[in-house]
Amino acid sequence: MMRKRGLGFALTCGILGVMAVLILWPMIQTFLYSFSSIADMKAYMKTRNNFDESVWIDSRLSPRMFSLSQYYQILITDNTVLRLFCNSVMYAVLILLGQAVIIPAFAFALCKFRYPGKNLLFFMVIMLMLLPFQVTMVPNVLTLRGLGLTDTLWSIVLPMWFTPFYIFLIRQFMVGLPGELIEASSIDGAGVIKTYVMIILPVCRPILGAAVALSFADCWNLVEQPLAYLTQRQDLQPLSTMFNQIAAENTGFEFAGAALYILPALFVYMFFQSDILSGLQLSELK
Amino acid sequence: MYTRKRLVLPFLLPGLLGIVLFYVLPFFSGVWYSVTDGSYKNAFVGLQNYVNVWNNSMFRLGLTNTLLLSLICAPLLWISSFFVSLLLNRIRPAGSFFRSSVLLPYLMPSSAVLIIWLLWFDYGGIVNRLCVALGLGRVNWLDGAPLRVPIILMFLWKNLGFCVIIFMAALQAVPEPLYEYASLEGASFRQQAVHITLPLIIPSAFLVFILAWINAFKIFKEVYFIGGAYPAESVYTLQHYMNNMYNKLNYQNVTTAAYSFAVIVFAIFGLLFFIQNRAQRGLN
Repeated sequence: MMRKRGLGFALTCGILGVMAVLILWPMIQTFLYSFSSIADMKAYMKTRNNFDESVWIDSRLSPRMFSLSQYYQILITDNTVLRLFCNSVMYAVLILLGQAVIIPAFAFALCKFRYPGKNLLFFMVIMLMLLPFQVTMVPNVLTLRGLGLTDTLWSIVLPMWFTPFYIFLIRQFMVGLPGELIEASSIDGAGVIKTYVMIILPVCRPILGAAVALSFADCWNLVEQPLAYLTQRQDLQPLSTMFNQIAAENTGFEFAGAALYILPALFVYMFFQSDILSGLQLSELK
Repeated sequence: MYTRKRLVLPFLLPGLLGIVLFYVLPFFSGVWYSVTDGSYKNAFVGLQNYVNVWNNSMFRLGLTNTLLLSLICAPLLWISSFFVSLLLNRIRPAGSFFRSSVLLPYLMPSSAVLIIWLLWFDYGGIVNRLCVALGLGRVNWLDGAPLRVPIILMFLWKNLGFCVIIFMAALQAVPEPLYEYASLEGASFRQQAVHITLPLIIPSAFLVFILAWINAFKIFKEVYFIGGAYPAESVYTLQHYMNNMYNKLNYQNVTTAAYSFAVIVFAIFGLLFFIQNRAQRGLN
């Protein structure tokens, strides 16, 4: 049933339109600025932090002159950004692979089986989900030190494989799946593992896509963990912790670096966008 | 539903092993850390560590700031995402562009976007131009107490979309005829929102509030990017304290601080669950 499209509709669209522009503007501005020349950008960024009451930063929309020199600098001449970028990719790949094996299986075990202690286990997952990183960091560190894994790349990767939030998210989706799915496949002679791989996982496609996208956002934005666990290993730091230092040095290519950094996240978002929307909506999040 | 217990093992074991190894077991051994003195004798000191940590001014500062920031951010995020989702719901099924643009920041890396925020909130930046145009003076946004404003706004910018999506899902489940009937009776948009929508979406609204609060506790990245490991006092968060103690190899303090915070977190969420239960019962 369509409601009348009148003044109210236009007004709502207007408000939302202004909001959308404000929300998207930081990304747009980053891409626009990334096409100005290095010298130009250096001079521009130097006008910041001027506490003279009469001086303003020039607010410009686009570069004065189109130039690819920033991209040339970060991709070909100087490989600092590219190396950090590869570190970030490595973390994202390792974390997502491990999560793909462990988390959906665990979520499946939490809802479609009957065994003692199941509810207690789910309660524990929720409790862990509520705890902020400041608290869960401590048990993680104790185990990592016990295993001798601090200052290695596994100190970042291993704890992330068991992130409780994604277990919760996928479990809430799987709970809504009808039991007939499993019964039908059992009658047709499929075992548990075959049912899980051939039926449950494909049906869960939206929430899995949503979880991949959200988890990628976490991996791409790792800050607390590398700062705490990788103090001795500058070479293993991802782009997320080092980028602001590059930007602070006024190198002139920070906007191209930022654009390069944003692009993979943008692609992941565009690829999984419909999954996020439908996955979160079909999930029983309450 | 599978009833044979043996079948669950291949699914359950990998995850269970990790959770027990990385969270549950060390959580209990951490309790031991928090009541010993960390010397080579590792003597039992009772609650002395807790007394020390609670007397530490930096811990109290970090705790106060974290609680204060989350107390501002969570309700603000909750209310604004409710309104945005109401607006989006109003123009449904149109507006897919707005829906996708509002969620985009959730996936954007903070440090890349931060350069733009530093430009906007600079002393000569566009925000101060706006302030002057409105007849206010210039503010030094990037230092001291005003630094809270860009940080709260960035938190809002980043997390709005996720909450909006969950609210939208709940709103779509509200039966349409209820609104039509209310319109016929002459109820305004605001009255419909308060008397029809709000009571029907309380479970989801509660979840959004909890998630907003969990995320608000995590505010650290942006502060770290602007202020480094030792930022201005007004934005020194608990995570700063934890990281600095950890880097000084003071594990006793880290554990003690973490467990003190865990007790506070559980107290807050316990209270929220209690309130939600009461609210639900009051409505039914």
